[in-house]
Amino acid sequence: MITVTIDGQKTEVEKETTILKAADKLGIKIPTLCYNELIEPYAACRLCIVEVIRGKRSRLVTACNYPLRQPVEVRTNSERVMKLRRMNLELLMARAPAAKIVRELAAEMGIEKTRFTIDNPEETCILCGLCVQVCENLVGTGAISFTDRGPDRKVATPYDVTSDACILCGACAHFCPTGHIQMTDIEERILHSELTLGPNTAISIPFRQAIPNAPRINPDYCIHMKTGGCEICSQVCPKECINYDDKDEFEEIEVSAVIVATGFQDFDPAPMKQFGYGKYANVLSAGEFEQMNNAASPTSGRIVLENGEEPRSIAILHCIGSRDDNYHKYCSRVCCMYALKFAHLVKEKTEAEVYQLYIDMRAFGKGYEEFYQRLLSEGVHVIRGKGAEIIPAPPDESSEGNLLVHCEDTLISKFREIPVDMVILCTALEARKDAPELARKLNISTGADGWYIEAHPKLAPVSTTTDGIYLAGACQGPKDIPDSVAQGAAAAGHVIKILNQGELLMDAAYAVIQEEYCSGCKMCNGLCPYTAISFDEEKKVSVINAALCKACGTCVAACPSGAIVARHFTDEQIYAQIEGILV
Amino acid sequence: MKPYRANLMLCAGTGCVSNHSFLVREALEKEIKKRGLENEIQVVITGCDGFCAEGPLLIVQPENIFYCRLTEKDVPLLVEEHFIKGRPVKKLMYTPPDAKAPVPKMNDIGFFKGQMLVALRNRGLIDPENIDEAIARDAYKAIAKVLTSMSPEEVIQEIKDSGLRGRGGGGFPTGIKWESCRNAEGEPKYVICNADEGDPGAFMDRNIIESDPHSVLEGMVIGAYAIGVSEGYVYIRHEYPLARDRLHIAIDQARDYGLLGKNIFDTGFNFDIEIVRGAGAFVCGESTALMASIEGRVGEPRAKYVHTVEHGLWNLPTCLNNVETWANVPGIINRGAEWFASIGTGDISESPWGGSKGTKVFSLTGKVYNTGLVEVPMGITLRDIVFEVGGGIPDGKEFKSVQTGGPSGGFLPADLLDLQVDFEQLTEAGSMMGSGGMVVMDEDNCMVDMARYFLAFTQGESCGKCTPCRDGVKAMLEILIRITEGKGVEEDLDLLEELSHFVIDSSLCALGGSAPNPVLTSLKYFREEYEAHIRDKKCPARACRQLNVYTIDPEICVSKGHGCGVCRRECPDNAITGEKNKTHFINQDACEKCGVCFDVCKFDAIQIT
Amino acid sequence: MSFEPKILGLLCNWCSYTGADLAGTARMKYPPNMRSVRVMCSGRVDPGFILEAFRSGADGVLICGCHPGDCHYVEGNYKCMRRIPLTQMLLKGMGIDPKRLRLEWVSASEGARFMEIVTEFTEQIRELGPLELQDWEFIPEELETVEISEPHKES
Repeated sequence: MITVTIDGQKTEVEKETTILKAADKLGIKIPTLCYNELIEPYAACRLCIVEVIRGKRSRLVTACNYPLRQPVEVRTNSERVMKLRRMNLELLMARAPAAKIVRELAAEMGIEKTRFTIDNPEETCILCGLCVQVCENLVGTGAISFTDRGPDRKVATPYDVTSDACILCGACAHFCPTGHIQMTDIEERILHSELTLGPNTAISIPFRQAIPNAPRINPDYCIHMKTGGCEICSQVCPKECINYDDKDEFEEIEVSAVIVATGFQDFDPAPMKQFGYGKYANVLSAGEFEQMNNAASPTSGRIVLENGEEPRSIAILHCIGSRDDNYHKYCSRVCCMYALKFAHLVKEKTEAEVYQLYIDMRAFGKGYEEFYQRLLSEGVHVIRGKGAEIIPAPPDESSEGNLLVHCEDTLISKFREIPVDMVILCTALEARKDAPELARKLNISTGADGWYIEAHPKLAPVSTTTDGIYLAGACQGPKDIPDSVAQGAAAAGHVIKILNQGELLMDAAYAVIQEEYCSGCKMCNGLCPYTAISFDEEKKVSVINAALCKACGTCVAACPSGAIVARHFTDEQIYAQIEGILV
Repeated sequence: MKPYRANLMLCAGTGCVSNHSFLVREALEKEIKKRGLENEIQVVITGCDGFCAEGPLLIVQPENIFYCRLTEKDVPLLVEEHFIKGRPVKKLMYTPPDAKAPVPKMNDIGFFKGQMLVALRNRGLIDPENIDEAIARDAYKAIAKVLTSMSPEEVIQEIKDSGLRGRGGGGFPTGIKWESCRNAEGEPKYVICNADEGDPGAFMDRNIIESDPHSVLEGMVIGAYAIGVSEGYVYIRHEYPLARDRLHIAIDQARDYGLLGKNIFDTGFNFDIEIVRGAGAFVCGESTALMASIEGRVGEPRAKYVHTVEHGLWNLPTCLNNVETWANVPGIINRGAEWFASIGTGDISESPWGGSKGTKVFSLTGKVYNTGLVEVPMGITLRDIVFEVGGGIPDGKEFKSVQTGGPSGGFLPADLLDLQVDFEQLTEAGSMMGSGGMVVMDEDNCMVDMARYFLAFTQGESCGKCTPCRDGVKAMLEILIRITEGKGVEEDLDLLEELSHFVIDSSLCALGGSAPNPVLTSLKYFREEYEAHIRDKKCPARACRQLNVYTIDPEICVSKGHGCGVCRRECPDNAITGEKNKTHFINQDACEKCGVCFDVCKFDAIQIT
Repeated sequence: MSFEPKILGLLCNWCSYTGADLAGTARMKYPPNMRSVRVMCSGRVDPGFILEAFRSGADGVLICGCHPGDCHYVEGNYKCMRRIPLTQMLLKGMGIDPKRLRLEWVSASEGARFMEIVTEFTEQIRELGPLELQDWEFIPEELETVEISEPHKES
């Protein structure tokens, strides 16, 4: 600690404290323009120059970055300092006559007019460099910089054109002391495909009712995570909750059972060119329409077209990617009912006409058929026939929609062309792309469609071939919410059984290696899909872990020494059977 | 090396090269071969001799005969007469401006006689692209001495004892800088050679590198050893291609000889040098801006109250010295600190700032006969430089002022001609040593106009970061332009002075801190010229054309020029009327005062009042 | 009396055996020539079973497993898929028409497919006629003898 005197007042400060901070502590205001405590002092405006006196030596230094290292006397308002400050402001007034902050500071000093040439009476930029510093050092983007030099210096993007590097964070505008930098909208359109449930901010609660219900930093948007700069949130958080070092971690957890509930993924309708998904802005997937309906969506749950207007008519096309030889042959089970729900929502929220284009209306569940009947009474048009093509409607004032849906109404055997404003594609549910990868890790199997296979379609619909691993929900196949809940509850029941059992009941059928016959060739080791076979280095024989073995017998058939016995399916038993039935 | 009867030292500095010295070389070699003298006479390409006004230069050794302004056409005669018949050719020798007979020997020429070569000790004597020739002149001997028999502390002490001060302008004692850098915390440390010479008309550093790059490299190796550094940079302007190429060659050759790189002289000491090219911003000569530029950032001075010896390049301890400073180091090691300290002024036993020791290289330009590069001992008077070395003012004009220290140096008047050239005395007189520019002005130079000229340069080269340098200098320049156009008012002089002090006091770096020097000194020593511009709307030197009134003397126009009408045809404003054989008139209302008529009239009929 | 072939069916427990079950519960009719043996997986099928079947008088052997990718044991059917062509080559060497051995994929829901396969395979074997095994005598004296070195004998 050192004692310094500022304008006659003594104070104790830590070494290396800047004069500006020491003066602030004493309530002495030193005017600054290019200083901001979040940014390393740039010392460009020179407005904060003060006089530092040590013994007989007097020195002029900038208060914003001069570190106090010795007990000195500082004068922030000596005649010499004030003279410089007045001249400085007068020059800045000539540079940026329209900058309010400069005019105010000058007025405080009693300067009303500048004696120097004003080049541009509209100019507001005082070249303090805060914006450049923020963009470069805090945000880490470096989208703007100083160009040219001397009196021609200015802040600009490269070549004065709109910069791709700019991330539209607005930090420069926020830091600009004169309002020289303003934010303007460059894109006013609402793009349906960009609608998401939450805002795209770097800090947000990931979704409503998230557990834990706390904000978290999204590293994709966080400037600090991307550039190491910014850190503004940690500086403003009064509780010091921000922890940048919190990283995604991989933990190994020992468990007795696993429930696989990885769900499904939406079929991407873009390859089905005839529907123009991604090409026409008002052709939405079911998921996107569902999002739009959410009260927390950017449209606040209103059903609107891309241009913000309410649609006059909407077509809902069933079986997009389902029941289709080219994509998925299976029925996605849930689309008919949610399509009816959509129709109901549209009817409730708008005046629009709704057309349902279906192949078969599968309202099979409890209360479903009744809902279908209710919809018919609400005036929803149902057309039996799959939508064939969507084309833009020719520009015509009298047209009732901006899109035309082509289909064949099979009930009246007629080709129809329906004008609509919006099309909703009921996309198929499909197995997640990464399902096979997880299947490999868990030693469970997937069917040809990618859905996980249950142990038995009728007798063990929740179990898998691997003990202790259960399936729940749409990872096993398309399923609606009640079915998923039921299966989840069943899986949980299975797990509770295991947890409370304390011991594992093993299947009687499993393979055993007869040590005395095993030659230690290890051929079986790689064969086992359950990694149940390991090699005993001491005895030089392979050993089967009976708890892991599922008794498929692949190793038995492969063993060149005949050392492996599949219990209940031994060679002798099978040979006897063969002999018995043939001879 | 093979002995020759005669060595022809042909200057290949930038000045002589642009005067076609390479064509002369080709002609010489061809002619020598034609005459069958190739085993007797050798042509050696050397660095700059400094006497650039008279290039291309050829010195015949060992006779020390000095030929100048050679062209390829002179070559057959020269070879025939001098090398076959043994008669030096008088016609090609240097004749001083007011003398009748030529001066045959180089050492007798006034320009060279008054000089003392330390940093430039090998100029004109070696081929800068041949390390063997440098070694024959004791290059790298100092490294051997330092690495084998001196501790780093002893080296630093030797430099301190010599009184060597930074030649880049600041005049900071080199030994102290090295010591602070050695003691600074942080690894690795760096040494930098500042070869970003940006002052207009100054070419000391370029010349040293072009004529003897090894002296710079050797100085850097010694400094690196003393400070404890293994990496060095030479920051050289891109506008110096010849110097850069020679430096490259020198570094490569030194590496081949094991004088740079790993394990120099088997002592386990490692040091290597990398060349960084500057992009031509004047402000990058400032040390922190230069380091920013090496780091790949925008070349802007840094606002920090810490020294670069502690936090320099990449925030690590860095010792930056100018080319000339480094080039002085080997001489000090070889000949001893005492010898170096015996040259110059002052007493450094009390304080290292107490005196200016050794020599200083100046580029002497402007209104003197012998423009070129001179190395003179510290303490020489301005008069000796201008009149002895420089040969005085041409065309019988009157000396008016000399500016030292580059574009932000001050103007010194005639009554300060006996001022001794050293750091303190120049600063006291309101000028500075700077990096060694020296511009001589005569009666035709208007001091207001000169101040305007140099301020326009500093304004253009200001980086624009801080308000005083960016807007203060601009405001000053506007006032000066106003005055030279006759629109000045009485208060302008006070305002100029106030602005000058403001810019000096509050600028971020030395560029702004010294930019107003020409204005302040011209106000101090030549105030009456300003007053003439403002009060009488006249430029005493007639350099400010806007203040001139151009008239035609009707008598001369008719009697001598017979109304030739050249002025009428050349006048861009059609302000001149007249017919052949009759006098012409200038319509003062239409005259834009461009001065073309004055320049084109062969009969001096145009008069300025 | 016409020739009624004897066919051995080796069915995997999870797909084909269930598929056969389904064909049965659905009252589908298929030739009774096939007698099935249940194994847990087609991967359990040891080529020895096949040879033993032909030795014991089978005229054809049909192996059914899960469709590729559907194996209950992840990849047992792939193992089988590689063994069968090798076994067919072996059969050819022994003078047995490789067409008498067939591998088919039948899932638990493909009762009809199971029926079709069995019918078709039975017809094929019927056309091929009864399997006549060639005589093949084992004469130990004709075997090449190998001299065994001393140290081994001692042990």
